[in-house]
Amino acid sequence: MRRYDKITPDGAKDKLFEQCEVRREVLSALSLLFEGRAYREVITPGFEFYDVFDSSSNNYFPQENMYKLTDLKGRMLVARPDSTVPIARVVATRLRGHSLPIRLYYSQDVYRMVSGSNGRSGEIMQAGVELIGSSSAKSDLEVLSLAAEALKCCRIADFRIEIGHIGIYKYLINSLNCSDEQREAIRSCIESKNYAALGDLLKEFDSPAAKALGQLPRMFGGAEVFEEAAELFRDFEDGELDEILKYLEFVYSSLQRCGLESKLMVDFGLVNQADYYTGIIFHGYIKGAGEPVVSGGRYDGLIKDFGENLPATGFGINVDLITAALLQSGLYNAEKKKVLVFCEAEAVSSAFSYINALSQSGVAAEFCTFDTLEETESYAVSVGADKICVVTADDVRMITVGGKADE
Amino acid sequence: MSKLRIALTKGRLENKTVELFEKMGLDCSAIRNKGRSLILHIPEPDIDVVLAKAADVITYVESGVCDMGVVGKDTIQECGSSFYEVLDLGFGRCKFALAVPAGSDFYGGYGTKCIATKYPKVARSYFESKGMDIDVVKIEGSVELAPLLGLADGIVDIVETGRTLKENGLEIAEYVSDISARLIVNVASLKLKKNDIENFVERIERCL
Repeated sequence: MRRYDKITPDGAKDKLFEQCEVRREVLSALSLLFEGRAYREVITPGFEFYDVFDSSSNNYFPQENMYKLTDLKGRMLVARPDSTVPIARVVATRLRGHSLPIRLYYSQDVYRMVSGSNGRSGEIMQAGVELIGSSSAKSDLEVLSLAAEALKCCRIADFRIEIGHIGIYKYLINSLNCSDEQREAIRSCIESKNYAALGDLLKEFDSPAAKALGQLPRMFGGAEVFEEAAELFRDFEDGELDEILKYLEFVYSSLQRCGLESKLMVDFGLVNQADYYTGIIFHGYIKGAGEPVVSGGRYDGLIKDFGENLPATGFGINVDLITAALLQSGLYNAEKKKVLVFCEAEAVSSAFSYINALSQSGVAAEFCTFDTLEETESYAVSVGADKICVVTADDVRMITVGGKADE
Repeated sequence: MSKLRIALTKGRLENKTVELFEKMGLDCSAIRNKGRSLILHIPEPDIDVVLAKAADVITYVESGVCDMGVVGKDTIQECGSSFYEVLDLGFGRCKFALAVPAGSDFYGGYGTKCIATKYPKVARSYFESKGMDIDVVKIEGSVELAPLLGLADGIVDIVETGRTLKENGLEIAEYVSDISARLIVNVASLKLKKNDIENFVERIERCL
């Protein structure tokens, strides 16, 4: 008995009509943008060896969240859960010795196991860029401003980009004498802005670092946050935090001058789990999506895992969330102009050449396969078309549905 | 300001939250006289209140259709994943505990122990953190029954006074974690409606 032949698995979805059209529009707008900034496209395999994603010490991707399969030799494969890691592999292998920096972009699905009862998708279309081989501030600025441009070119007007720096958290947590478990508990409380639990966890550490960690998740907002941070970090005299702070402030004000004043935020509490990020990190938010649609940052250590020590930065956009927001906003006009073309049996070739001409001029022409004009007319009524082109061997007539000849 | 939407856990937490809101000076008459409506309005600040079951509060906040929610830490531990948990509201206090038939030695012997619970995820991760294999049986109603009937060696459940346990011949072997009501906030909402949400959270904080 076939029990599952009419449904799709948890996390998998059919996409129809305007969902495909909007998604394609978004993807082509993004490709155009990225190519216009000299990024070149790469496509990595849909499935790879498990080892690529298993940097055991780092655990970027929990194994329970990956779709697994095996090859003929019994080796473990996974459906790509992310594009940045495979691109790091490509850079360290096939592009070894390439002149730097390397600018790459991708638009491909990533796969993540989902429970299925929360309506989430396990197959997510992501587009993004990686700028590899430069650790300069200019490369951070390029990628950040490109992320903002990417949202704009998808016709998203109302968005926020928030930036943070993982170095602050790393510095503070390293100066705290705590176990790995405590470390993860603290990190997770900062990430979820769980002020109460964070306070309890930090109680036993009586140090400026603990005090600063306790404040991190509260420190988000506009430029005023930099002053709070400077005040908070005053007790640390070795200058490392100061330097990070100055750098963040520089990035923030440079982006402001790029016309992003009203879009920018800073959040010192950005600390993603098991991240390969090492410097600036950022998220993008839009109205109508309950989670970040853009996620990116600097990852100077990742490519080293594959044998080449190269700094890198980049971001990915969740194209499905953007598509959903655009569809919801009603910005997209689903109804495309369509013309019905009918002909008698002997005029088929004329009809086809007429349809070619129409479709080349940008009009969707539907060839009506019915035998009679009456059937065609009742079809026209059912799809809400009000005109039919009737092609004969030597002319084309337009008739209005309901009978009268038009012209 | 933009309109905020908050989901409240129906029942006891809802009543406690309404008391808190009234202490803050919010007009909760719509909630007090709700009839069968599930979306209710507070005029100042402009807030829609949604009444839902605990696990649904998390679903609504995570997806972003509600900006904030009031829900117990028990549900967060069982169902939660990504949102901000910004305030411990202090009411709805109780504990998760492992309870066993009085006098029994839960950790004795080498057999795999069986736990009955309404909170399989909480029970699993608790014993996982101890590196211990257990069988988990999900029970919907009175969990205390399972050890009495011989189905389970113990239960992981919410304990307030411990009276129900005592009356059924069970005793607390150990506490697992503390529980109270929390204010949770959608990740994107906090960024997109920062001022409105922060003002609201501060108003709550002043009345706790």
